[in-house]
Amino acid sequence: MELPTLQDLNLAVTLPSMGLALWACVVLAVGLFLPERRRHWNLVLSLGGIVALFLYNLTLFDLPADRQSAFLGMYRADNFTAFVNLIALVTAFFGVLMAYEYLKRTHIDRGEYYPLLLISTSGAMLMGASGDLAVLFVALELLSIPLYIMSGLRRPNAASEESALKYFLLGAFSSAFLVYGVALVYGAAGSTDLSEIFHRVNAGLILDQGLLLAGAGLMLVGLGFKVAAVPFHMWTPDVYQGAPTAVTGYMSVGAKLGGFAGLLRVFIVALPAVSGAGDATGWQDTIALIAALTMILGNVVAIAQRDVKRMLGYSSIAHAGYILMGAAAAGSPDVRDFAVSASLFYLLAYAFTNLGAFAVTVAIEKDDATNPQLDDFNGLSKTRPVLALAMALFMLSLTGIPPTAGVVGKFFLFQAAVNAGMVWLALIGVITSVVSAFYYLRIVVNMYLREGPGEAQAQRSFLGVAVGLAAVGTFVLGVAPVLFLDLAQRAVLVALGG
Amino acid sequence: MIEIYLPIVVLLVISVALSVVILFFSRIFGPFRPNRRKLTPYESGMTPIGPAQRRIPVKFYLVAVLFIIFDIEVIFILPWAVVFRDLGAVALVGMAVFIVILLIAFIYEWKKGAMVWE
Amino acid sequence: MENTPISLTTIVTFLPIAGLIVVLFINREREDIIRWVTLGTAVITFLASLGMVAAFDASNPGLQLETYYNWIPGFNISYHVAVDGLSMLLVLLTTFIMPLAVLASFDPIKERVKLYYCMLLLIETAMLGVFVTQDLFLFYIFWEFTLVPMYFLIGIWGSENRVYAAIKFFLYTMAGSILMLLAILWLGVNGDTFNLPTLLEKLASGALVFPEGVEVLLFIGFFAAFAVKVPLWPFHSWLPDAHYEAPTAGSVILAGVLLKLGTYGFVRFNLPLFPQASIDLAPVVAALAVIGILYGAWVSYAQKDVKKLVAYSSVSHLGFVMLGIFALNAQGVQGGIMQMVNHGLSTGGLFLLVGMLYERRHTKLMADFGGIWKVMPLFGALSLIIVLSSMGLPGLNGFVGEFTILLGSMGSNFLAVGFTVFAAVGVILAAVYMLYMFGKVYMGPVIHPENERLPGLDWKEVAVLVPLIIMIFWIGLYPTPFFGMMDSSVDALVTPYTAPGGSVTAAPELAPAPVAAGEAASVGLAPGY
Repeated sequence: MELPTLQDLNLAVTLPSMGLALWACVVLAVGLFLPERRRHWNLVLSLGGIVALFLYNLTLFDLPADRQSAFLGMYRADNFTAFVNLIALVTAFFGVLMAYEYLKRTHIDRGEYYPLLLISTSGAMLMGASGDLAVLFVALELLSIPLYIMSGLRRPNAASEESALKYFLLGAFSSAFLVYGVALVYGAAGSTDLSEIFHRVNAGLILDQGLLLAGAGLMLVGLGFKVAAVPFHMWTPDVYQGAPTAVTGYMSVGAKLGGFAGLLRVFIVALPAVSGAGDATGWQDTIALIAALTMILGNVVAIAQRDVKRMLGYSSIAHAGYILMGAAAAGSPDVRDFAVSASLFYLLAYAFTNLGAFAVTVAIEKDDATNPQLDDFNGLSKTRPVLALAMALFMLSLTGIPPTAGVVGKFFLFQAAVNAGMVWLALIGVITSVVSAFYYLRIVVNMYLREGPGEAQAQRSFLGVAVGLAAVGTFVLGVAPVLFLDLAQRAVLVALGG
Repeated sequence: MIEIYLPIVVLLVISVALSVVILFFSRIFGPFRPNRRKLTPYESGMTPIGPAQRRIPVKFYLVAVLFIIFDIEVIFILPWAVVFRDLGAVALVGMAVFIVILLIAFIYEWKKGAMVWE
Repeated sequence: MENTPISLTTIVTFLPIAGLIVVLFINREREDIIRWVTLGTAVITFLASLGMVAAFDASNPGLQLETYYNWIPGFNISYHVAVDGLSMLLVLLTTFIMPLAVLASFDPIKERVKLYYCMLLLIETAMLGVFVTQDLFLFYIFWEFTLVPMYFLIGIWGSENRVYAAIKFFLYTMAGSILMLLAILWLGVNGDTFNLPTLLEKLASGALVFPEGVEVLLFIGFFAAFAVKVPLWPFHSWLPDAHYEAPTAGSVILAGVLLKLGTYGFVRFNLPLFPQASIDLAPVVAALAVIGILYGAWVSYAQKDVKKLVAYSSVSHLGFVMLGIFALNAQGVQGGIMQMVNHGLSTGGLFLLVGMLYERRHTKLMADFGGIWKVMPLFGALSLIIVLSSMGLPGLNGFVGEFTILLGSMGSNFLAVGFTVFAAVGVILAAVYMLYMFGKVYMGPVIHPENERLPGLDWKEVAVLVPLIIMIFWIGLYPTPFFGMMDSSVDALVTPYTAPGGSVTAAPELAPAPVAAGEAASVGLAPGY
């Protein structure tokens, strides 16, 4: 057997995820020795690492073919990976920025937050980069375990502990589904390498069709838990409600990003033709059905919520439904590239918008960390006009009203669905968008049309920077989507090379 | 293809069957004359003092977990050491990363006071 | 297509945004400066749009003053704006109404002044964008965006029930337009472009053919968005609430321009894109329009509140516009577009009058007035002109539009004569409820002592009303330049519907001999001038 050399491993291209995990160790170690008054170094180091890797990651687009694989094919460094990295690093950036003062003023300023967040981000990046089912599983755990801990950061607060425990139990449950699915797929195809599985499925070299289908189904369940797709969404509202708000904000984007990156990677690279017959993709209808249910349930139930975090939780379920619509559209071979880039673009748009919305929620939350209610937004436009304006922008973007990132993203997702011949799915998508207008507008109504003592706790600060950057991102993606669409469009072509 | 796993199934059946047979037959054919002293838990022949399920300080668990973590590390390092010459630079770098991560974890534990008994 | 340099159309569309940026940098406390900057912006935009008219070649039926920029390459989405005869007048109407709306807000709006004028400027750009855009994606963006500022205008500065009205307005119109989004997507996906002229070319050349039954569905998709906005009966229920609760300027913009987005959409998209479906559904749409005319008039008559009366009268007037458009001939469409402008002027004017009354008495109930002419003779006289214009008195603008529409529907190949008859009844009913209102509010003795000492019009109010009155007389007495502007474009638009032996089969037993398009237009101009 030829032994690999260091050059074969091609470590340089893995730096965004691997480097972030290692950097997390450094931040952890340094954080241990920081005295109280130098705690800001946690923030500085984390942000520095994220920004440096973000810039480095920009050089990883369009790598030559021989540099696109690392760790002997276990890690794939194509444009898809690079784009997922980009979204993940943006998410981590906001996750750190909006937490800093929040953790302090609600008295849970633990240094571990930063390394945990970085490790989780690295897991999300690895999900998109995995070229092997084993890596996918490791990445999933790397993504999830820090999140379990972060949800329980406000120990011994009962809600926070409940959130952590619930998330942990159901997360472990979903991991079990995933790993069992991986085992079955391995049993059927005789390999855990994604391209290898693809070739064997295509060539009909599989042991048992039923085994493969069952394995794919179980993996879908496992990943469905991560992205909070109906009917695997039950944990979402409770976990979102109980976790500290900054954590919820990060989680609502980071975990979903990882889940979708893995889902697209596995189902498009390895299992495009799981049911065997030619072009037909057995999972397209299944995912479409899940997408429809997710959109309907998420949007309808969100209407009844009074707790902002719970409402945003259901809203995040709904948005998982929209992205699943893109994933379902990707099941049609000739729409595949478009659908994947549309999904990726939507994830980016969603990242800016949702993180912005959570950043404002963090600003609203009182020092005693009681969960913000919708009424806490009353009259905010008078007391904090800029903050209210930003929040209105985020709400419009989540609804899908111009000129925001959300409308462009949704437009492309619906286009993908129509393109794949699933007009009914797009119809459900547009109708639920109207439903969503109802609850998103409620916040706008409270801020602008009602009087009240709405007051933000945080003054001009890092949090303000986070809100501002998110607003700029949301707006720019809506007005000049080309900037990132170009990257998103290139992101797919190679991801599907198999 | 799935037939190649047949020996494992056979082994499984035999082992289960054997343990059932041993227990079952010894119960039937062996003498069984219990008394109170015979039924008490074995405690080196001494008379038992106090209940068997006593509460143990949680610190023992912590130490146990720490022990397992570092024990597992050794399990990785041993085979690595055996083939180190053949693997070359890749293995060196890989193990270095591994050790560094462990080192940081160790420092973390130390600093957080996981090693302090009192 | 190649990118083109920026044209006057783009400049006019985004001038209000430039003003908005200036306003953003003004301190909130300096309310007067904000007001004047906004007014200045609106006036400059109007002057610039007059520049467009100067550069506009009325004999050219095609797009003019184009800007093309490859906005999202690879996704077949472009920034493509231009004007033609169908949109030129409506652009003018928008830029004409806006300064009046701004000026009319000077005194009534005392709270959150900066935000208010920002919203006015935003909505002007959004509305202009809808009128000039030639790309379906861009159109959707502008179309949806008009919701946001209007929502705030109603919701923040409206009267008691404003929150309810604002949400109702938003959800109704969004629900309609979201179906249009699906239709747009279908066209974009199957036509491989979102550019309207390119799509039309593809349809004409047969490169894009609608499968069986799809054309009607697409028509309905667009119809849903436009019918809610117009609003066509029975999709009108948001309108009275929105109108009633909105502040005066909001109502003026809503009635003056926003409703025209819907009728304009029919002319711009439904007619050229889906000729067969338009013909098939013309009687249905026309029936809804006629029901709207009669229903609106009937309900208006029953109102006790002046503003509600005016609001319901919009349903009636817009019914006329729809009837004209779906007559599917040159007179009908020309009358429809003319009537859009007329309705903008007269109903916009009526809302201004109501606003002036409300500012003085803080009530809108007819019973609280009476004899206003005696107290405010100038106001009474100006009001009379606007009221007469709204009910379609010959010599004033309303008559020109309504008469041309009735001629069009009479000569339509696709509509039975009954539509015209019932619509004509609507004209009479309009006279009934308008004069009833005028009698109750302006004539008779001064019943309420509070009304005896009402102050007369100040210079701002006169400045708002006089331009309207001038336009009302101008269009009423000499409409030729206005018809001339849209003549050739409308002819081109209705060619597939009127050309003998074209793709469309007429129903000759319902109609008089088809009139050649050019002739038809001149007939439209004829009545008695």
